[in-house]
Amino acid sequence: MTDDATPSWQHLLDLVAQLDSGSYDSASVTYGDVSVQLSRSGPLSAPVPSSASTTPATTSPKPSGTIIASPMIGVFYRCPSPGAPPFVEIGASVEPDTTIGIVEVMKMMNPVSAGVNGTLTSFLVRDHEQVEYGQALAVVAEASSQ
Amino acid sequence: MSEKGNADSEAPPVVLVANRGEIAVRIIAAARRIGASPVLAASAADADSPAARLADRVIVIGPAPVAQSYLRPELIATAALQAGASVVHPGYGFLSEQPELAELLEIEKIAFAGPRPETLRAVGDKSSARKVALAAGVPVAPAVEVDDVETVAGLGDSIGYPLLIKAVFGGGGRGIRLVNDAGELARLAPQAAAEALAAFGNGALYLERFYPAARHVEVQVFGDGEGRAQIFGDRDCSVQRRHQKLIEECPAPGLSVATRAVMHDASRALVQALAYRGAGTVEFLVDTQSEAVVFLEVNARIQVEHPVTEEAYGIDLVAAQLRLALGWDPELPDVPPVPSATVIELRINAEDPENDFRPSPGTISRVRWPGGPGIRVDTQLEDGYRFPPFYDSLMAKLIVRAHSRDAAVAAARSAAATVEINGVTTTLALHEFVLSHPDFIRGGVTTSWFGPTWEHRSEQRMASVR
Repeated sequence: MTDDATPSWQHLLDLVAQLDSGSYDSASVTYGDVSVQLSRSGPLSAPVPSSASTTPATTSPKPSGTIIASPMIGVFYRCPSPGAPPFVEIGASVEPDTTIGIVEVMKMMNPVSAGVNGTLTSFLVRDHEQVEYGQALAVVAEASSQ
Repeated sequence: MSEKGNADSEAPPVVLVANRGEIAVRIIAAARRIGASPVLAASAADADSPAARLADRVIVIGPAPVAQSYLRPELIATAALQAGASVVHPGYGFLSEQPELAELLEIEKIAFAGPRPETLRAVGDKSSARKVALAAGVPVAPAVEVDDVETVAGLGDSIGYPLLIKAVFGGGGRGIRLVNDAGELARLAPQAAAEALAAFGNGALYLERFYPAARHVEVQVFGDGEGRAQIFGDRDCSVQRRHQKLIEECPAPGLSVATRAVMHDASRALVQALAYRGAGTVEFLVDTQSEAVVFLEVNARIQVEHPVTEEAYGIDLVAAQLRLALGWDPELPDVPPVPSATVIELRINAEDPENDFRPSPGTISRVRWPGGPGIRVDTQLEDGYRFPPFYDSLMAKLIVRAHSRDAAVAAARSAAATVEINGVTTTLALHEFVLSHPDFIRGGVTTSWFGPTWEHRSEQRMASVR
């Protein structure tokens, strides 16, 4: 920071927002005599949505593997367009940049990538289902863990 | 207006609460009061907040940073669709005055508990708000827009010194600079333009006459959207530090009948001219030397300090906003310009006033509030609450009503003394100081009173320790 005066809330907010977008495990920043510590252990915990109205999605017994979480609130689509084959089938192998579906927010299409190497073992939401930020979308059995 | 609210008499209308913290708790209470079902749109950091637990449902819209959650109109609109909401209440800050959210909702036929998008645009930037005010016959300060920051000196002379450099698209007191002479103006104007560009995405500036000894007085308005205006008295918010309000009261003390009438009449004219819809505030400066009244801005939203007005008049402004947005009667009475009680609000922030108001987030180990006649607390705090570092520092508002101003000051002082907030440092110490200070007890301090007065106290304390 440019001066050594006490940081304002705005300074801190900016800093935390900046740090939060990084993939750190822990971070500690000191300026002036204020220190900020951030840590993140394990993958982002997916908040459990309270969707009382919708029928339960694909019922799968405790998925073991890596969860792919929704990057946005929106509607999840497994196919690039109506009638087209899905981006990936269950049982297909995926790489980190493999698109497994899209989340649509107000006509904006946001591709969702697998993020890891492995085999896509199940979807936890149905095609066209409303999803929230952080909601578990699918499970991948990672290649290294097989 | 949407008729969804009344379409199905079986299902209560859903209110999407697009905010967090104490105001989310407040909106949820208002939704309950009108028989609606509150659904909270929360960031991941707030998914398990006290407000989240009070709501019927929580929809997680994004990660903790506001730029990826609370400030994204398309995420709020998506959440409103998912919730099946009839109305979205934006609270204050965040998207409350952004026409983009109001417009997205209009497309989806979901009501917005706020003014129409075109009103938000008309009053949203200060130079257009000023034009609207001038057209409605509202008194404004001498001011001029800056065309070229390199040749501002002549403009300054036409206004007179001291003056303020302000960002046309600024807000919340940010980017304002005080200038005492032409030399300072020439030096600071380019800086201010660069800062405004960085902070607000637009470097446009204007110069405005500065009144060094003025009070901040604002008028609470409510419009039916068709030109009818109701006025709910005024508030004095002059106890400020760096343009951030600390203490507010209703009514503004010691105003002459004529001065009050100027402000109320001007506010009514403005609401009528805009066919303003819902709750709003018209802010003024009152020069203590000349008693001149000048228009500052319109806050086209519910304000942080709305409870002092609610308590003074026995009304529920947030419920009225929701009712109006649903196409119902807002159920607001006509009231006299001065209420029969005085109400004082203390903002309790997670900041350390003994150390330059340093931010102090952390875990609240224990919190206890006073009770008794005329005491109201608007807060999201509870034992064990982890006050997050992502958002603003407001923890609670302690609101105290009594039959006279003297009684209200005494009651507020006594209430503040019994507040217990353990785990983080708060601004309570400053409230005890202000409420005991003869200047504040007398009433009518100016906006430049608190800063130097608090600094002077700090210096004295340092001296006495040595």
